[in-house]
Amino acid sequence: MSLFQRERAIITRNEYVDRFDFEEIEDFVKNADKNLFISHHFKTRDKMLVQPRGGFPTFEKVWKLYEEFTAAGVDVLPLTIDSNTRLNDYATAKKMLILSEENDVDMLNGYPLIIHGYRTTRRMMTHFNTPVSLRHGTPDARLLVEVAIASGIFEIEGGPITYLLPYSKNFPLDKAFLYWKYVERVCAHYSAFNEPINRESFGPLSATLQPPAIVIVIQLVEMLLSLEEGVKSFSVSFSQSGSMIQDVVTAKVLRKLAREYADRFGHTDASIHLVYHQWMGAFPRNKEFSDALITTSTVIAAMVGADKIIVKTRDEAFGIPTKEANARAVASVQYTLGMLKGIPPVEDEEEEAHLERMVREIMEAVLNDGADTLWRKVFNAIKKGHIEIPFSPHVINANEVITIRDPQENIRILERGKLPISDESFAYEKSKIRLQPGETVVEKIIKDIGIMQ
Amino acid sequence: MNPLMLDIGSTYFKVMENGRVRHWFRDFTRPIHDDLMDKCGGLVARHTPENIFICSSANGGLSTLILGLSESFSLKYAVNIAFNSGINIIDTVLLPRLAEATPPKEQVDVVILVGGIDGVAGFFGPETAAFLRQVDYSNIVYVGSDADIDFVKEAIENVVILDNIVDGKLKMRDKGLKTYLTDLYQADIMGKEEIKRLYDITANQIFSTPYIVNQALPAISQKLDVADPFIVIDIGGATTDIHYSRDLVSDNITGEGGYDRLVFKKLGVYKSRESLIHTARQNEYVFELLEYLGVTEDILEKQSEEATRVLMQLAIFLVLYKVSRHHGEYVELKLENLNSIVLTGGITKVLDEEDAEAILRFFYKKLLHFHQIPQLVLDHDYEIWTYGMEAVSAKERP
Repeated sequence: MSLFQRERAIITRNEYVDRFDFEEIEDFVKNADKNLFISHHFKTRDKMLVQPRGGFPTFEKVWKLYEEFTAAGVDVLPLTIDSNTRLNDYATAKKMLILSEENDVDMLNGYPLIIHGYRTTRRMMTHFNTPVSLRHGTPDARLLVEVAIASGIFEIEGGPITYLLPYSKNFPLDKAFLYWKYVERVCAHYSAFNEPINRESFGPLSATLQPPAIVIVIQLVEMLLSLEEGVKSFSVSFSQSGSMIQDVVTAKVLRKLAREYADRFGHTDASIHLVYHQWMGAFPRNKEFSDALITTSTVIAAMVGADKIIVKTRDEAFGIPTKEANARAVASVQYTLGMLKGIPPVEDEEEEAHLERMVREIMEAVLNDGADTLWRKVFNAIKKGHIEIPFSPHVINANEVITIRDPQENIRILERGKLPISDESFAYEKSKIRLQPGETVVEKIIKDIGIMQ
Repeated sequence: MNPLMLDIGSTYFKVMENGRVRHWFRDFTRPIHDDLMDKCGGLVARHTPENIFICSSANGGLSTLILGLSESFSLKYAVNIAFNSGINIIDTVLLPRLAEATPPKEQVDVVILVGGIDGVAGFFGPETAAFLRQVDYSNIVYVGSDADIDFVKEAIENVVILDNIVDGKLKMRDKGLKTYLTDLYQADIMGKEEIKRLYDITANQIFSTPYIVNQALPAISQKLDVADPFIVIDIGGATTDIHYSRDLVSDNITGEGGYDRLVFKKLGVYKSRESLIHTARQNEYVFELLEYLGVTEDILEKQSEEATRVLMQLAIFLVLYKVSRHHGEYVELKLENLNSIVLTGGITKVLDEEDAEAILRFFYKKLLHFHQIPQLVLDHDYEIWTYGMEAVSAKERP
């Protein structure tokens, strides 16, 4: 037995897991219907896939949610995991699930997959026979991903940076890299049996004034870390920034560089997809405005040619959306997409060249680090502040970069901290920024964060 | 030529040459150097001093008292730096509770004063100086706010001033204090006649064994059948060390390495035997545990092979208890998330897998209500320190 297989045996031998039957699971993946694999849909369908968010504690409620989504014409189902499971606190997840089932009250903000187990969950996944995307936010997702794939969930979101720095204050980053290496290897392992397991990075990051250059760099390094472990299908992603043209430019540069870097590192056989998240910042409390925001972001998704769109709901400002609100959003986005075929391309060559240069400058600094492995180069880059996520709560994040919007609402870098961008790139960014007379930077940032409210 | 590696423990000499580890029980009636040369002189003679690497826990290490301002930042950071520099912490005192604190009776090697962020003054006053006058210490170092430096210099003789370990963003800045403590540790080794003589046979720095074990941890999952997060429990003759993966702590401090260390100075099975028995008698679960092991309390008074085995089982239980949620004094580890436990040190010479597993089963069932226990690995050949020595000697060699 290989060292990796022995490690898998240790990880899956857990108090909260029923006997883990690797052989049976491999057999299941081998014979699973191709419709369960999003990688198959990317390959065969000529439309943007629509995926909502959602997850409830009990099996029955998720089943009903999926029925509602299916009726609304969903392309990809979500499975959002509860916060206790995300933090590997399975004991609390178990208690809260029992309370939720006994009292018919949701005591968890998602589905406790480990507690339900793969044998139960698989019944649901195979019944709906639609690809399911695992949405979690877990730095140590090793067990969760083992159970997810065993359940028939063949898309795994996240990564060592994107599921750590925006979500956690203290979890050690080096451990997150190693734990995600395990996840990638498990995904690569199962990809050999049928269609590939798709990995998706989480581009919205902290969803607050994220400069596209940083978003793209993080997407590229998470993609490379995944591909180097043998993953063959990967989705890079980003979220609506608040500037239509900046989104178009971001998509173009991200798509181009993702392919280029994948090829440069010898992963020419990997397929790469683009995912667009509807607005991830604070939503308006006026539901008609929310509808307008969702429709606009659907238009932008069509302009950028996304392979998948992840939708929001008009109830976003008020808490966890109901299944009805979620289904309505799916139907509305599908309807809008139907009107957006053949959109003419929009370009801004100057901005594209500028963004591409900044990304290359940062990537060069990351890859030139003296460490002997890619993950350690990236880890060092984060420690040095060469990569940082504005508004991340994590203690390792440098928190020196300050971003702000220009008059066209593009997100610009006001303070570059230790980002290794050239003076020329930085001067270009700064040249676009305008403050009103008497307006302070803090006032402007607050206004810029709440741009959609 | 492969290096010769020596570990001078409180009970054994351990030697690794060409991947082979051998041990010799120490003769306590003789000086370390003479005893070592008598047992391994032939081996030593085959190597140049540049090719010999030594670590030691035999000098017992340094002790520290830390005075800090807050449990969330200054005190926590200082404790972390001290542990990772191989220093044993005698006590910690929060400055706001100084009036209720009792100065330690024993001699302290180094006092660490810490608190505040730079630019803010007034954390250290006459009451701090008065408290310190009651402490018998050899060294004192200040790593707090720069605004209090003048007062500290004035009020405390021979104080060493270093950079604040809490930076402006409340992050830990550990380099200065870590270097100071490590140098002090070295100076202490150099000053101990017994260890000092070992510099006759090596041209390299003699490291503390816990530091070396800590350096080994990132390599363990590649060498042994363990999965992160794991802990290494090193139960020796004098002390028990626990090295743990940082993701087992909710409120960890992100720094280099990914692993921290905690030392229990009085939980050894030979030199600290009495203290271990005393701690065991105070523990509410121990009598149930003795019953579970099928022995009676009087085993603790006996001197037999069986008594030593039981004592070692107790040491495993007590160390787990002390880092569990049932005990607030030390760091609290999320033991329910553990995938593996590695046992190393003198304990592996006495306990077999079954003995150790019995304790884990009792602990996990009784205290955590778990039926599963983590994967248990016994480092029978005491290999772990060699991974650390390999890492360190590779850095030292040109």
